[in-house]
Amino acid sequence: MASDSSPANFNNGPSSPDDSFSSPIANTSSPAHRRRRGRRQVSTPSSAAATPPPNPSRFANSASTPTPARSTRRGRRPGPATSPSPAVAATPSSTDDFSMPSSEGGEDMEEATPTFVWGTNISVQDVKNAIQMFIKHFRDPQELSNDIYGEGKYTRLINRVLEVEGEWIDVDAHDVFNYDSDLYNKMMRYPLEVLAIFDIVLMDIVSLINPLFDKHVQVRIHNLKSSTSMRNLNPSDIEKMVSLKGMVIRCSSIIPEIREAVFRCIVCGYHSEPVVVDRGRISEPTSCLKQECLAKNSMALVHNRCRFADKQIVRLQETPDEIPEGGTPHTVSLLMHDKLVDAGKPGDRVEVTGIYRAMSVRVGPTQRTVKSLFKTYIDCLHIKKTDKSRMAAEDPMEVDKGSQRVDDDVQFDEDKVEELKELSRQPDIYERLTRSLAPNIWELDDVKKGLLCQLFGGNALKLLSGASFRGDINILLVGDPGTSKSQLLQYIHKLAPRGIYTSGRGSSAVGLTAYVAKDPETGETVLESGALVLSDRGICCIDEFDKMSDNARSMLHEVMEQQTVSIAKAGIIASLNARTSVLACANPSGSRYNPRLSVIDNIHLPPTLLSRFDLIYLILDKADEQTDRRLAKHIVSLHFEDTEIAEHDVIDLATLTAYVSYARKNIHPKLSDEAAEELTRGYVEMRKRGNFPGSSKKVITATPRQIESLIRLSEALARIRFSETVEMRDVTEAFRLLEVAMQQSATDHSTGTIDMDLITTGVSASERMRRETLLSATRNIIMDKLQLGGPSIRLLELLDEMKKQNSGTEIHLHDLRTAVATLASEGFVVLHGDSVKRM
Amino acid sequence: MGGPTYDCLANPLGAVRLTFEKAIGSESETPPTHPSAFNGKDWGALELFRHFLFQESGLSQVPILNPKTLRWVQPNSLVRYRGMIQDMLGNEFYAGAYKDGNLWRTNKFMDVSQYPMGSSPDMCIWERRLLYCVPVPGQSPWTEPSSEMEPNWSSQTREKRRRMDDEDDDPMDLVPDDEIKSSPITKKMREDGLPSPSQSMDTKTTSSSSITSTFQSVDKDNLPCLVKIYDSPESELKLNDVFEFIGVLTFDSELAVEKDDNDELSNSFYDDALVHLPPNKVPRLHCLIHRKLAVQDFLPGSPIIEPKPHLVKETREALFRHLTAVLGNDEVAAHFVLLHLLSKVHARVDDVAVGKLSLNLTGLSKESVSVFGTRLSDTFKNLLPFTNCMPLTLEYLNTASLAPKKDYQANRLVPGVLQLAEGSHLMVDETRLESGSLNSTGIENTKLLKKFIEFQKVEYDFQYYKVEMATDVQLLIFSEGKSNIVPADVIVPFQPSCLESTETPVAEALEAWRWYLATVRSLPHSIGSEIQKVVEDDLVAARQTDRSLGSRDFSRWLTMARLISSSFGETSLSKEHWEMVKEMERLRRERLK
Repeated sequence: MASDSSPANFNNGPSSPDDSFSSPIANTSSPAHRRRRGRRQVSTPSSAAATPPPNPSRFANSASTPTPARSTRRGRRPGPATSPSPAVAATPSSTDDFSMPSSEGGEDMEEATPTFVWGTNISVQDVKNAIQMFIKHFRDPQELSNDIYGEGKYTRLINRVLEVEGEWIDVDAHDVFNYDSDLYNKMMRYPLEVLAIFDIVLMDIVSLINPLFDKHVQVRIHNLKSSTSMRNLNPSDIEKMVSLKGMVIRCSSIIPEIREAVFRCIVCGYHSEPVVVDRGRISEPTSCLKQECLAKNSMALVHNRCRFADKQIVRLQETPDEIPEGGTPHTVSLLMHDKLVDAGKPGDRVEVTGIYRAMSVRVGPTQRTVKSLFKTYIDCLHIKKTDKSRMAAEDPMEVDKGSQRVDDDVQFDEDKVEELKELSRQPDIYERLTRSLAPNIWELDDVKKGLLCQLFGGNALKLLSGASFRGDINILLVGDPGTSKSQLLQYIHKLAPRGIYTSGRGSSAVGLTAYVAKDPETGETVLESGALVLSDRGICCIDEFDKMSDNARSMLHEVMEQQTVSIAKAGIIASLNARTSVLACANPSGSRYNPRLSVIDNIHLPPTLLSRFDLIYLILDKADEQTDRRLAKHIVSLHFEDTEIAEHDVIDLATLTAYVSYARKNIHPKLSDEAAEELTRGYVEMRKRGNFPGSSKKVITATPRQIESLIRLSEALARIRFSETVEMRDVTEAFRLLEVAMQQSATDHSTGTIDMDLITTGVSASERMRRETLLSATRNIIMDKLQLGGPSIRLLELLDEMKKQNSGTEIHLHDLRTAVATLASEGFVVLHGDSVKRM
Repeated sequence: MGGPTYDCLANPLGAVRLTFEKAIGSESETPPTHPSAFNGKDWGALELFRHFLFQESGLSQVPILNPKTLRWVQPNSLVRYRGMIQDMLGNEFYAGAYKDGNLWRTNKFMDVSQYPMGSSPDMCIWERRLLYCVPVPGQSPWTEPSSEMEPNWSSQTREKRRRMDDEDDDPMDLVPDDEIKSSPITKKMREDGLPSPSQSMDTKTTSSSSITSTFQSVDKDNLPCLVKIYDSPESELKLNDVFEFIGVLTFDSELAVEKDDNDELSNSFYDDALVHLPPNKVPRLHCLIHRKLAVQDFLPGSPIIEPKPHLVKETREALFRHLTAVLGNDEVAAHFVLLHLLSKVHARVDDVAVGKLSLNLTGLSKESVSVFGTRLSDTFKNLLPFTNCMPLTLEYLNTASLAPKKDYQANRLVPGVLQLAEGSHLMVDETRLESGSLNSTGIENTKLLKKFIEFQKVEYDFQYYKVEMATDVQLLIFSEGKSNIVPADVIVPFQPSCLESTETPVAEALEAWRWYLATVRSLPHSIGSEIQKVVEDDLVAARQTDRSLGSRDFSRWLTMARLISSSFGETSLSKEHWEMVKEMERLRRERLK
């Protein structure tokens, strides 16, 4: 079979692209030649140069992707003379690999005159030297300090690989770029050639260090400078190195691909030399090779002496954020080999580095004619799982995975960071972010500001003593129906780093925290995480908070302050992290807010739980003509102005998410001295405000919980500005936010002042005052009316007496009863049913 | 071959080839252009076809591809296909240009190369997009063009083409069996001793003669089509858009053969989708020109009339009378139905779809639905281009697949009931819904329906994630009480006063009404500052008296106001029409009590 005229009939496995396209592409060149020189070492450079169309059969061999091709090198000693040597075997290439004993490669080596990658001016020798330099001399700039051994990063890596008998070395493309951008560019443009040289260099080094090491070590490039979108892959990318993000949607079963076949003569039992795959197929010897036998058609495949390699075809699909409006997701096939097989499972989000390839489609299984179509796929070099759901939820405080420098979280590229920083420098960034938060929800600016603080969050603090302070801000929204609370919740849920959206009515205590279940298969008890645990480092949105069962709500106490969930059941005692912000919303108890009742009565939640919310917003639908008019205007403009209304200056969701996640990750504001001063001053002020004018009775207006809230809020506000220090204005704004929230929720309806007791104990100070007055009045009456040890008096009589004396105020029987009961506990009176007797 | 001697209709590929040759300058003295310079872009062929179709009004001569015409339309001729983009099958790389000897050839607009190309190293790889199109769901019969092309068209052109063959050596044409030997190109190829091309020619010829029989397996009223798009930005063609594609119909016998070649490897590797779309079921269309179709484009043969005020008013009056009669003399309901038919989403502000007006007719029982429901549905079928019905029973909810779902096994988007073209009408009959329990599918479906009606969005299920697609569908719900599964914008208790069946309208009236509905719907609209003030004051006043009114109610009023003034053919809201809105709302509220 003359090599030049053999059309692509080798096209058996998908892994062998047709040669016919290889050359037209960007005039690059035939990888075949490089392959031949670099790997197979069979053809002379002269012959290669002389045959203008690259020999299809040669390419076919190499075309079966870099990885498996390497396996043929296994037996071969790469040897010191590693230059991609022109081999002497000027045989017709169709026979070369087939009959080439594996040892032959080494013999053919000899020093080469400068050889070039076909069709380019890239000198093989230059590339080789560049790679050698890179491996030997590249040093990680971050490790400069402890670089006393004088070993480069990759020399060390190679040593490690040798120790653990690994099979590959991960090479960070950023490192290559930093060391030698020219090499990087060559690698991008001619990955097949450069990677093969890379492998050879690697093998040289390996054999120098440990000549007995017989595994082949491959290079795996990852972390390219730029990644392509699947949608933008186009013909010019063929044969280039690309990096893609996507989601694995389908994996084929593992396909054993034959690499070397051994035949045995069924007549004489002679075993043939291993036959290597040639153009995707094995040529079965037609007759026994043993001189004495020479029986025709007697060779049978010996399966267990053949060598197979794993192969898998994986389909990758675009992630939803890359799909343009009105489009369906694109998919691309990946070809995985050896160790990469099963590296990704369906549903995984991965980042793949590989070589984009195309192969032509045969007309029929037996025909040699090629259709004008190409199938494309990516020859996978490296696969990295990413878990980039919305916002990077990693807590920066935890750097426990120190060994792996490149973590799986989102890496912001420099442009993006610069863009975000630019954004943060705008003077009105706080206002802009507020506007951009749920722009379709109208007004409620202060609520949005609070939610913004929740998104950014404060700094979590862990003292050496083990005490920890949460950085998460919890918010409760209470309001009339139809005030878009749920929409706000949904919006935050969409934006939040991680989070679960539940509805109170459908949540049980165990569903929120964690529960112990029996594994149906093994019968073991296993701990299953509930919503709060699952939203660790995120926001747990609970709708219909008021409709939640008390039992379930009480589970929240621990979570909201200690940020853990403790379980002690079915022999499992565990404490799980639940570092989550809670965003809850509730309707007032009578479904509509009753202004005559106190806030507590309206919200109807246990005070212990309420105090754990940093901000409680009352969203009331006030009958206000001004707001009505604005609503009317808003809706009219919505309907009649076809242009996008009020869209100016709004930051889009993606940028907002990036902004928030960058801030959470990289900004850790500290309190400045003056801010701390202001906090102290303000807090004292708040407590002072509890002083009733003209009354010696002090009302506790603020609790230590509030000062923690204030710190968190001001930290979040500094974060919004990308500021590393908490400044005065942040503290002032934090006070304002708290005040706004509290004024609505903690207004005592009888006095109009802020009363924290209303929230912390459920009874207002004025209420307590009233009780106090009633108590003393009762005491006075009893002192007047009753003799010590004298006859008893009925409660109703007492009430009449009281009413006579205090005509101004209304006194209820049950209030009186409480008062008398208090007196009884003091030992002042005895209460027998309805009769009171002084002691 | 100077001069425009192209037969765009019967031999579009010949025309393509000639322009290609001209473009690369193989005939002129100037140094030839390298085809890679085109990079798959147009080289002037489209201009030629555009000229032919629109300047020389060749469009009407191009047959529309449907099960009927498919029987006689010849492969490799110019056809039209009207349909909705149901799925996008991604991009396909093909050998766009290659060298055959010293000549550059192109493969653009065809499936299989005409010349041997295996060994040539000079080749440009270009890319094209694959779209899977189906007839628009619920397409009414009147939208089908009635003008039957005479079937002898093909024989005429065959004659013509035969002549051209001799002149042009055009191998693209189907060469009748008896001509094979005389065909110069075949001869030449035989002499060249290249077996494969002539072999493929043979298969081609045989297959072309059997094309009629092959395509007979096609579903009678449902002819999908695989459209291959060249030279157009991705953003131009969106999922669920209705398009007319004008291009080359190809029939590729080799693709048919491929079906047998079912080794698991190559299939799982690549075009799973195509494997499931055998060419004898799904014709291929290489699109030259495509244009988006609006409802007007489906009006058969009616010239575009300017919406003259009096004409619009008359038509409105007549249509309103007709609707009233259909609705058993319930004028209020007829008013709302009319507005409902004119509604469309004209803007989206965040999640809010502005302009939709879904209608819920309550007070209907199983029995009355059978009368009025069918009557209305017939009426709508006559008036609107795309109408669909959904019987909302418990079983249906629990079993139907409403949302389109990606089937990764076949690599296809399996259509769901809610994958509808823009401007479709959907009737939901809830009267037959009985109490019972929903399974997980049912719950999923009710959620979907709710989202659908509230935001005009459907979540497409891609298994690992969902993608929201915006829709614009008019929804009419029949129910006994207010529907909670499908909460509509307007709830109108239906109170018919007579059950008499109505007379069927005359054809001209129907045509006028169709035209009215299509035109009026797309009228622009604005509001004067004065009336805006009035409207705002009214809204504020209304809210002061009734706190339960919310933005939803205001939105509805304004939508109604816009639709009412549109229905009279006016482009800005007048006081009179605003009063009408309030009156209609009052009448409706009275019924609700």
